[in-house]
Amino acid sequence: MIDRSRVGFTTEPTTVAIDAWRVKLFCQAIGETDPVYWDARAAGCAVCPVPPTFLKAVEGEHYSSAALMKLLNVPLRGVLHAEQAFEILAPVLVGDAVEVQRSVADIHDKKDGAYTFIVIDTQYRVRGKPVATSRQTILARNALAAG
Amino acid sequence: MNDTAAFPPRIELRCGPVTAVDLALFAAASGDHNPLHLDSEVARAAGFDRPVVHGMLTCAYAARLFTQQFGAGCVRRLRTRFSGVALLGDTLHLSAELTKVESGVAHYTLNVRTTAAAAGAEQRDVATGQAQVARTIGA
Repeated sequence: MIDRSRVGFTTEPTTVAIDAWRVKLFCQAIGETDPVYWDARAAGCAVCPVPPTFLKAVEGEHYSSAALMKLLNVPLRGVLHAEQAFEILAPVLVGDAVEVQRSVADIHDKKDGAYTFIVIDTQYRVRGKPVATSRQTILARNALAAG
Repeated sequence: MNDTAAFPPRIELRCGPVTAVDLALFAAASGDHNPLHLDSEVARAAGFDRPVVHGMLTCAYAARLFTQQFGAGCVRRLRTRFSGVALLGDTLHLSAELTKVESGVAHYTLNVRTTAAAAGAEQRDVATGQAQVARTIGA
């Protein structure tokens, strides 16, 4: 059974260093060839902004969604990503130390309990200043979870 | 400057076909090691013919749709709702339509469809969403 008592659970914030090599690997994986993301000098820029959705990899280094599903007693089998939203308030740059904190915002059912939706909010801060927020909605297909 | 002229009414990007190497690289780069994306048997047990493309890879392609057009750091907001799944071997067709420009920030609606490698395969909806983008780095 999904542990609904965990709604409101918030992780202890930790800091994740933004490493050029990891950003380059991420760019290779997504087909991004512009060196501006990992080599500012080559791109003729002063700084390397990370690709917007790289923030999801950053939050995984802090406390992954898979680890959160384990905490909530949601088997990964049957789980799908339903929705993802980012708000970028300021650029996150290679070399930044990003403080990340995640919380379980909501758990609700649809289709008479066949589907459970788990909503997780994440805050990203650099030097104490908010730089981004995200909201991930995870769908647990409960019939498959039991199988 | 004319706000709307700086932003084309429609932009497009095609990604894929998504290979097993792409999915393995993305698993490593993103830290999402769920075998649903890597192992055919796990995918079948979850009800899919082939490994499922990470939703976050589709999101990353969606962000590329905008950054290739408007540059690194252009994305202010990006929201993606997954209405289907893309599978290993699929080609993703991403498009965005301009809805309005406000204070230099363009609002686009996003649509992602996928086609399987098989000849004559029909396009299927994978995701819809919205984005807000600007032409300058930072907020």
